[in-house]
Amino acid sequence: MSFRPRILVIDDEVQIHRFLTPALTAAGYEPVQVMTATEGLRELALHPPDAVVLDLGLPDMDGKDALKKARAFYGGPILILSARSREAEKIAALDGGADDYLEKPFGVGELLARLRVLLRRGPEPDSPAPVVRAGDLEVDFEFGMVRRGGERVRLTPKEFKLLSVLVEGGGKVVTHRQLLTAVWGPAHVDDTHYLRVAVGQLRQKLEPEPAVPVHIVTEAGIGYRFLGD
Amino acid sequence: MPAKHPQRLTRLVAAAGFVGLANGVAFAAGPTVAGANLAMLFLLSVLVSAVAYGLGPALMAALLAAVTYNFFFLEPHYTFQITHPADLLTFSVFFAVALATGWLAGRARDSQRRTAAHARATEALLDASRALARAATPDEAAQALAEQIASATGGRAVILIRDGEGLRLAGAPPGLAALSAESLAAAEFVWRGGDLIATPEATREWTFASLDGVQARVGVAGLRGLRTSDDPEVPDLTNALLEQGGVVIERAMLASAASENEALRQADQLRSGLLNSISHDFRTPLASILGSATTLADYESDLAPSVRRDLLESIQQDAQRLNQHIGALLDMSSLEGGALRPRQDWTDVRELVGSALRRLQPKLAGHRVERHFAAEAPLVRADALLLEQAILNVLDNAAIYAPAGTAIRIVVEADAQDVLVAIEDEGPGIPAAELDAVFGRFRRLESTRDGAGGLGLGLSITKGFVEAMGGTVSAVSPLSTQGGTRFVIRLPKVADAPQAAP
Repeated sequence: MSFRPRILVIDDEVQIHRFLTPALTAAGYEPVQVMTATEGLRELALHPPDAVVLDLGLPDMDGKDALKKARAFYGGPILILSARSREAEKIAALDGGADDYLEKPFGVGELLARLRVLLRRGPEPDSPAPVVRAGDLEVDFEFGMVRRGGERVRLTPKEFKLLSVLVEGGGKVVTHRQLLTAVWGPAHVDDTHYLRVAVGQLRQKLEPEPAVPVHIVTEAGIGYRFLGD
Repeated sequence: MPAKHPQRLTRLVAAAGFVGLANGVAFAAGPTVAGANLAMLFLLSVLVSAVAYGLGPALMAALLAAVTYNFFFLEPHYTFQITHPADLLTFSVFFAVALATGWLAGRARDSQRRTAAHARATEALLDASRALARAATPDEAAQALAEQIASATGGRAVILIRDGEGLRLAGAPPGLAALSAESLAAAEFVWRGGDLIATPEATREWTFASLDGVQARVGVAGLRGLRTSDDPEVPDLTNALLEQGGVVIERAMLASAASENEALRQADQLRSGLLNSISHDFRTPLASILGSATTLADYESDLAPSVRRDLLESIQQDAQRLNQHIGALLDMSSLEGGALRPRQDWTDVRELVGSALRRLQPKLAGHRVERHFAAEAPLVRADALLLEQAILNVLDNAAIYAPAGTAIRIVVEADAQDVLVAIEDEGPGIPAAELDAVFGRFRRLESTRDGAGGLGLGLSITKGFVEAMGGTVSAVSPLSTQGGTRFVIRLPKVADAPQAAP
């Protein structure tokens, strides 16, 4: 029997567990279902899972607080569930340590895709592969350069830094604040126009069709996501 | 009376002064000027008084001139007696001519002054009508009235208008924000009692008069330091302005009440539209979900795998449709509740067209999507989520109405004022009569393929969102004899919008 990653699902709705438990099991995971934040945090401390699915709308604790408490002793991937209309909550959770988000209602396919991305990166996120390939793109971190179809693409240092942060996300959403902080520094978290312009330039240089980006994908109002193949 | 008309006394004194001057000149000239010449000198003073001060002072000057002429210059001097018969004749003729001159010249002067005052009053009334006609609300009308009274009469005016049961200060001179309690009580008294308070101005800050519309009293006006005419034949400008102002304020009040009613009527329409849509648009997908699910539950083993697959897909699609309906209702209620606060940030419109297209990919799979994006489109200030949804709703509309296989063209470009997104489809087009209503709520063309449509809220949400961000939406249809519709979303260009990162 091969290794089955344990997924802790913290959600107060029975209906969600009713389909998630069989779906996760069928997809080769070992789901653990809990209904409250308190139970979830206990489970997290006693038997740390490989990943957590956390609903932000729990009855016994504010989603933000639950996330903060979990992050105090748990370093693994956390995927949050939230409603589309609650933008600010989502952004706060992502900036506060969640790895990715999914809007309710969602299909199981989307959830499994997100989990795969989060689990693929493994427990050592600080040591990315020296070369990352995505389609005809090749990002070489060791030599700090980018090739497209074998040809070297000239990027400014800021553009390369931006691309690196996105690629290191490995398919996770990276928020505007995270990108601005990493590339331009904490003093520029509100200068979103830097980001818009730099993303536009990166797409011009890297995307096969910049108007229909396939690598640097927009999550409106939240951030960007780097997609491989 | 003299206290009330200090100007009249001044004029009489001045006219007497002219006569005195004539006496002085006659004395100075001595015996060289005598007889008829002397009479001419006195006549001149009467004439000057008439031209300068009008009828009353002229007649007084004539009398005074005759008396002093007789007293000082007809023998025996320093008496009112006349010795020579010739002098008696001279005196009589002089007095008659002086009276006639004074009367004629004074009348002419008064009538000319009156004509000028008439003209000024007419002009002031015209100005006031224009200013009042521009006022759209009762408050604007009240402010315009206060200003017009002030400029036409040189005084100050405050206007209080009806607000519920009481009065509210709506028009005032610059710098005046509130009235004293005493003035307010006086205003209330006029408001309730109806009569002008005729107390001396010195004891009160303002003199209040009622403002009446055609149907009812609309407020009161407080007046102070007005320049009034003492001539009963000159029209009372202040009263005319108050009458006109009252009617205009009443009209504005009726108009604003009408627009409140209109808002209520629309809210009512929305509610009934919502009920209709919930009963139909929500039940249809629910019926299909429930039907498919129970079929699967009851006959699972008897169904061919392809039928099972089909039922499952229908559950999935209809659930997604319900989700979209709920999203539209939430968007609509955020617009209706006035709770929409766009988070304006630097936004690349092209990027949001891209993300809207991604979200709508499955629905657009049957259409040819053509993009024509300008290489340089300045960033605009917009809320990314709202703008994405606004664009998505227009695309969704195109996907519903334009048949599969046709092209949907998306253009993003900038002109002198705006950055614009134009979305053109090759659908049947919108009948001219319905084009204006296309952004209304619960609008759907009858030809919608059954079950494919949304709630008919999409374009109305687009309009609401775009306008909340300071933009505009328009529609053109048909584009050719084959039909086709073009929707254009415009967002204002921002001066010195950032173009490049440092």
